Amino acid sequence: MNPKQLACVVLMIIIGLITYFGQIGHKKVVSMKRSAAQAESDATMAEGGRQSAEILTARTKAETEELRRFLAAWTPHIDRAQTEQEVGSAIEVSLRERGITLVRSRKSEVRTSRASKLIPKIVLTTLEVEDEYAKVMAWMGDIEKRLPLARVTACRITGGSGARLLRLDISLETPLIDLGESSGPAKQKG
Amino acid sequence: MSSYLCHDFKTPRTDTSKRLPESFKAVPVLFYLALLVGTYFMTMDWMAYKRAQTVKAQADTTREEHEKASSKMRAQKEILDAETKKAEAVAKWMEGARNLQPISVAIARAVPPEVTLSNLTLERSDQVPSNLALSVNINGGTAAEVAMIEASLARLQYRSYSPQQSKNGSVIEYRSTLVRQE
Repeated sequence: MNPKQLACVVLMIIIGLITYFGQIGHKKVVSMKRSAAQAESDATMAEGGRQSAEILTARTKAETEELRRFLAAWTPHIDRAQTEQEVGSAIEVSLRERGITLVRSRKSEVRTSRASKLIPKIVLTTLEVEDEYAKVMAWMGDIEKRLPLARVTACRITGGSGARLLRLDISLETPLIDLGESSGPAKQKG
Repeated sequence: MSSYLCHDFKTPRTDTSKRLPESFKAVPVLFYLALLVGTYFMTMDWMAYKRAQTVKAQADTTREEHEKASSKMRAQKEILDAETKKAEAVAKWMEGARNLQPISVAIARAVPPEVTLSNLTLERSDQVPSNLALSVNINGGTAAEVAMIEASLARLQYRSYSPQQSKNGSVIEYRSTLVRQE
């Protein structure tokens, strides 16, 4: 091989290398451009997702506002009756304040509720009180006001031992509501 | 060309190659031109690569921001849903926890002073707690007192369903199911 041929070969090698690396570089550029286009498309899709999430959240917020306001209004009452002692104490105070002197019987028990996770326990209170009509009715109104979540399941009003006396047999179910159940944001929201 | 001296100019030389054609002078020019064009395209490719890289990075950042905002919104919605569920449960309970004292008072006030009530019972239904089973014994009363009781209950938005009356001497036993009308 003479020097001219050698020079040609070297030149061809140089040209080949330039072409090879040029092609590799070009492929990389094409791939990067494709990735950029894909990333842009992903970003557009993510923007759409964000918009729909915002719309959905705003709609849920608007639709449930009344219910959430209702819960916020009841949260202080729920917080006030969280244990059997708190319920018992409310009844005790009410009886004392309303001047009910004769309490024939009073029973209280905590029952586990399986109906709802939110209401894991219910305090079942049974009372037999006897006094004047006005006092008994005032007490009944007071206890329903003091324990607004309490559900009077049965109430029987009959004549008392005296002429002016009235006897009231009442059964109350007070739920011990656990607002912290599952996520527990209700208390914070207010 | 051979290295030895040649004094014979008449005989054609056999050891020398033919001259290249004139057009081959363009080869080096073309080579340099190709180098220049190659450099131009490679530079353009490099710039396009850098630009695409920047665009990709920006798009990725934007996507991440949107995704973060979306997940925040979803979390907020989950909180709202959880709160709504709680509110519904409380509302359901409250629906069956309406006060009974106003009913008792309304019934007592509905009857005139000469008529007495010897027994008044209100019981909540286990299935539908908002429904109440009412039982009242009216001493010395008539159907008019029953109508008065029903009217007073209607004022409290309770309607009597399947009312029953039975008379035992001077005592009227009245039973009915009270259903709240919204």
